[in-house]
Amino acid sequence: MVNLAVKLGKLNLKNPVILASGTCGYGREIAPYLDLNRVGAITVKGLSYYPFPGNPPPRLREVYAGVLNSIGLENKGVHRFIQEDLPFLSSFDTCLLVNIWGHTEDEFIQVAQELDKLERVDALELNVSCPNTERGREVFCSDLEMLKSIVAKVRAVTQKLLIVKLGPEVKEWEKTLDVLENEGVDILSLTNSFPALFIDVERRDFFFKRKFAGLSGPAIKPLALKMVYEVVNYTSLPVIGMGGIVSAYDALEFLLVGAKAVALGVANLLDPTLALSVVEGIEKYLQDNKIGNLENLIGKVR
Amino acid sequence: MREAIIEERRHWGERFIQLKLKEKEIAHCAQPGQFVMVRVQKGFDPLLGRPLAIMKVEGDSFYLFWEVVGRGTKILSSLNVENRLEVLGPLGKGFSLSPSRALIVAGGRGITPLYFLASRFEENGIPFTFFLGVKNKEELFMIDFLQDFPGAYFWSCEELIEGGFCGTVLSLFHNWLKDKVLPLGTRVYSCGPEGMLKNLYQEEKMGNIPLEVSLETFMGCGFGVCMGCAVERRNDEGYFHVCKDGPVFLAQELKW
Repeated sequence: MVNLAVKLGKLNLKNPVILASGTCGYGREIAPYLDLNRVGAITVKGLSYYPFPGNPPPRLREVYAGVLNSIGLENKGVHRFIQEDLPFLSSFDTCLLVNIWGHTEDEFIQVAQELDKLERVDALELNVSCPNTERGREVFCSDLEMLKSIVAKVRAVTQKLLIVKLGPEVKEWEKTLDVLENEGVDILSLTNSFPALFIDVERRDFFFKRKFAGLSGPAIKPLALKMVYEVVNYTSLPVIGMGGIVSAYDALEFLLVGAKAVALGVANLLDPTLALSVVEGIEKYLQDNKIGNLENLIGKVR
Repeated sequence: MREAIIEERRHWGERFIQLKLKEKEIAHCAQPGQFVMVRVQKGFDPLLGRPLAIMKVEGDSFYLFWEVVGRGTKILSSLNVENRLEVLGPLGKGFSLSPSRALIVAGGRGITPLYFLASRFEENGIPFTFFLGVKNKEELFMIDFLQDFPGAYFWSCEELIEGGFCGTVLSLFHNWLKDKVLPLGTRVYSCGPEGMLKNLYQEEKMGNIPLEVSLETFMGCGFGVCMGCAVERRNDEGYFHVCKDGPVFLAQELKW
């Protein structure tokens, strides 16, 4: 028997595999295919205070070993989630992380306040790095003052563990990480998708109506891994590593460079049972290499 | 994910492929209008599955029929008997199954889910008329599929061809409708290119007859988590997701 449990800050996960926000819906959609009791945590799709329709189609474009998305944070809003999905999700023996976002600081705060009341929610993940919406969203993570302000304000209204999800838009990494540590953030998750572009040659125009879209999938894994490696080496905050993980070996790479847990994104789309294969693959690796405890493997490559 | 084994493979030229796949659960549960997500290959490039409509079920097997339109469908077309495919499904909401009379309008590969629907109507004794339109001689083979419904179909070809109506399926349908009084409870079912569906929806003679359309779109997941397959709802009421809310919709619910 090997021990797959990991400590992610104050959060105890039964194994390091997390379903990333936006790739497992509100839990209910993926549950028919994947036993949610078997994953370390699930991250609910990014919630705003009010329902939000998202971007006009087309929203997806496949590229080599990757996919560009321009979903635009479509979601049903925090209240409908609490009414319609939380009771269902509560029945599973797994940690429950909820990704949140807002058009404004006030909206971020409102969502955090609603979720703070709920015992079943283990942590809030702030989306300050989504490249997909128009209204100043890049500002939250690329502008230090803006980031500091939003994190401080959310921190002030919730006792929940606070995860901040970062992405390639961050400009000054060290200063950003200092700010997040100082403002009482508990955990970091990275990376969000890479802002990217696709041109429709036949139409001679941008493929997406919002011009840029977020690239994810195996195509970004080496980039994401380098980012996680560098962040882990700088900060004392625990990191959830993500970006193109589709196999146990991908996950192990992130764990070896020091991520305390890993999140699967696009993997859930192409095969909703893949998270379970990753859990089992990590377990097998530990058995084959006679490593009794996964924690002993984390950060072995520095 | 389920593993399906290819039992039969047919192809018509380079572009059109039909596979018979053995997978009991899907064959037993599938309803007309539903689809499956098919992993293109074991690796991760192409990355995402391809949504393919179910054409027919037979015992423990089901049939897929598609046209090669890009890299994924091209790779899938090279598979052979006894190869295995990873498949998720059946997925989505299918057609309504109890009209008093049905008119079925198919454009090209849009025949796929409608063939399944017509088979079900046939089993259940629901009267229907099937209209199939093909673009050119290369696609004429599809008419053979309709021989399973003798006396219940009409076809058209946009190229001049002997023995058939020359023009679009919409002209064919329009001409047929001209002198007809349709009984209450008639429904029209369609699948085909977007422009065809739009024109059909706007067909004056249709009056208040409900029209159900099956939409084709690129999908990320097929089961409602990624929200990538959005289509606009009428009156700017936001979006439906083709995989979960469809792929079959009442035309009047959509923005055209």
